[in-house]
Amino acid sequence: MITSSIVQRLSLLRSLFARPVTEHLPRPAGPAGPARFPGSVQLRHVDAGSCNGCELEIASAFGPVYDAERFGARLVASPRHADGVLVTGVVTRNMVTPLEKTLDAVPRPRVVVACGDCALGGGPFTAGYGVAGSVAMFAEPDVAIPGCPPGPAAITQALRGLTGR
Amino acid sequence: MSAALFLGGLALGAGGSLAGAALPPRARLPVAAALTSGACIAAAAAAAGVLASGHTVAVRSAEILPLTGVTLSLDPLGAIFVITSAVVGAAASCYAVGYAARGTESRAAAALLPLFITSLLLVPAAASIATFMAAWELMALSSLLLLLTGHRRREARDAATWYAVMTHAGAAAILVALVLIGAHAGGESFAALRAHVGEIPPAERSIAFVLALAGFASKAGAVPLHVWLPRAHPEAPSPVSALMSGAMVNLGIYGIVRTGDGLLRGGELWWWLVVAGLGVASALFGGIHAAASTDLKRLLAYSTVDNIGLILIGVGVSGALAASGHRMLAGLAMIAALFQLINHSAFKGCLFLAAGSVQRAAGTRDLDSLGGLLRRLPATAALFGIGALSICALPPFSGFASEWLLVQSFLRAFSAHSTATSVAVLAGVAALALTGGLTAAAFVKAFGVGFLGQPRTPAAAAAGRVHPAMVGGTALLAVPCLALGVLPGLVMPLLARAAGTALASTAPGPPGPPAPLGSAAGLLGPLGSAAGLRIAGSNDVIEPALLTVALIAALVLAAWLVRVRAVGVRRAEPWGCGRELQTPRMQYTATSFAEPLQRVFADVLRPDRDLDVSHLAESRYFEEAITYHSRTDDAVERGVYRPLTVLVQRWGEVARRAQNGSMHRYLGYGFAALVVMLMLLA
Repeated sequence: MITSSIVQRLSLLRSLFARPVTEHLPRPAGPAGPARFPGSVQLRHVDAGSCNGCELEIASAFGPVYDAERFGARLVASPRHADGVLVTGVVTRNMVTPLEKTLDAVPRPRVVVACGDCALGGGPFTAGYGVAGSVAMFAEPDVAIPGCPPGPAAITQALRGLTGR
Repeated sequence: MSAALFLGGLALGAGGSLAGAALPPRARLPVAAALTSGACIAAAAAAAGVLASGHTVAVRSAEILPLTGVTLSLDPLGAIFVITSAVVGAAASCYAVGYAARGTESRAAAALLPLFITSLLLVPAAASIATFMAAWELMALSSLLLLLTGHRRREARDAATWYAVMTHAGAAAILVALVLIGAHAGGESFAALRAHVGEIPPAERSIAFVLALAGFASKAGAVPLHVWLPRAHPEAPSPVSALMSGAMVNLGIYGIVRTGDGLLRGGELWWWLVVAGLGVASALFGGIHAAASTDLKRLLAYSTVDNIGLILIGVGVSGALAASGHRMLAGLAMIAALFQLINHSAFKGCLFLAAGSVQRAAGTRDLDSLGGLLRRLPATAALFGIGALSICALPPFSGFASEWLLVQSFLRAFSAHSTATSVAVLAGVAALALTGGLTAAAFVKAFGVGFLGQPRTPAAAAAGRVHPAMVGGTALLAVPCLALGVLPGLVMPLLARAAGTALASTAPGPPGPPAPLGSAAGLLGPLGSAAGLRIAGSNDVIEPALLTVALIAALVLAAWLVRVRAVGVRRAEPWGCGRELQTPRMQYTATSFAEPLQRVFADVLRPDRDLDVSHLAESRYFEEAITYHSRTDDAVERGVYRPLTVLVQRWGEVARRAQNGSMHRYLGYGFAALVVMLMLLA
């Protein structure tokens, strides 16, 4: 009894002996089309005017629990390093030029992932005074991840569709 | 024949100096340059004759210098240095015609440049203490006065002060060392010195070597005696910088080899370990500073310190091996050091001349204000590129061949089975590896920021034409960068002969005429195979000529593939983080490129950074002004020389109390001295 309580209190020891925290995610069911970027896809994330709900979910999709990187998806720091753009949020007026420039800066062939209802043209902010529109006005999204916000599992599974892993 | 040619060359150089002083302004520079180039060609031809035949040419004249006369003797070791000085000298004198084309050059400068070049040809041929010191001083004074032609700028005056003090302290040390050696010899000629060196007690011999090393190392710019170099080289007019970096610092190395291996006949192991240690320190210190510098010519100056370090490591390892009896290995290390030395002269001369063209065209040498010069000065950019590729030791350029040989000679030295030598060699290999990376970083910065991208200032955007004489002079030095890189085997027999002469006197045995190290030429394998480098008795071989062909083939193939496969190339604007407004000032600068290295080597560089942010009075969330200020001073200068100058200053203040300017007090001193003398004598 005493030893087990010590083990429970010492988080270091606990984590030493704990089972992996990473979720087991089965391969998404359904017709597996040919992957756009077999093996790996590098994405540049653009927050075009999000409430940061989607950002939290993306952060946890790339965290230790859902670990999207094990399926070959990575977030990179420059569109020049990227295969595609991951857009969240409605497109606000201030973000129109940066979004256009980022979409232009990614080498072709390119993939556009719209993450969350706002990016897909819905959500609570569509009628806002500073909103210019949605991603579809600038580039047709190749992958749509609906939800407000979409959960990390949904994001991870959508990205797996791109890498085919 | 050779003797007449060499003396004729010296006379032509003197004539060039007179022409520079006497002729009217328009004719002055072309005539002086033609005469000086003739002097260089004649001297180089004489030296080439000496190298090809292996015979020493000696001239003695009792008339020229009173009391001692002049003794000149050109042996294969000196000949290598004469040829190097002559090539850089010819290029610099051509370049000077264009450099001064706008009438900025004074009569003094036109007269002094040929004199400086002549002294550079004279020093390696001097064969007695008096002749050597006279030539040495001629070189020091003419270069000092050339540096002072920019005396209207405060930086140039400061640099001249530093240079004058360092070079004359060095000359004093050399003189004392030579006199110490000469005290036991019958005469003052180098042959007499060499013959009687066995009679000097070992302790005295070591003192002489250490003094000579200090003197010559201060001329070569080895750490910690390098402080004048990063000041004087940038401030001197560019042809003079090229001569200083490409020819004058070599003569410091020449002095160390001539004194240590020649006059003192090799001496003891620890001498050479000290030399190698100086080399390691210089290579690392110079490399780190070059990587952090943002002034183009200061960067080149620190890179000279770095390369001199590499040469000193080679010379030190060679001396250590000779002192422990491994003469073949010593010969190989000496050949490698000499090869690195001649290559350094060519590429550093080329880089300094190209940097001078940039300075002339854009009005600044601050990399942070340059940019986009590739389109504006294509010839200069190409020549700078050749020099930069060569100094980064990339095949097929010359730096690759000599650094390969240097590493091979170091690795082979492990078979000497001496702990001290092995440690020195290990440090040498490590220094070579680290400075290789640092040099690459420095020159990627220099070329990338200076020549690529877009101009950062209107002055850089307006950079116009470069005078054809300047391009020609620079190109003259770019030729050996490529030629020695593609066909290094061609000069190997000559270098082997020079190294043999350098090490000839180190043979243990009775003093007498030095036996030639005939087998040194056999160290490098047969030259039949396309003039590559092969080390005898091993499989270590490089064939830069084949490598060049392969490289060109690969480039052609790549270009063809790009052309064939590049269907529908899309051009996008440069990525600027999606900003709406982009200006050339948002490009990567030299400072930002060097920042990570500056951070890594903060212990060596000790950068001085200031960030001042002033906020708006209404809200602290908005800045009114941000000023950032960063400078890297030389840590050795700050840590060693500043306290020294402060000490000397205080001493001067104390002495000033005794010397107050009053005539009465001075008369009083005289009276007191007389009284004391009388009391002592009585």
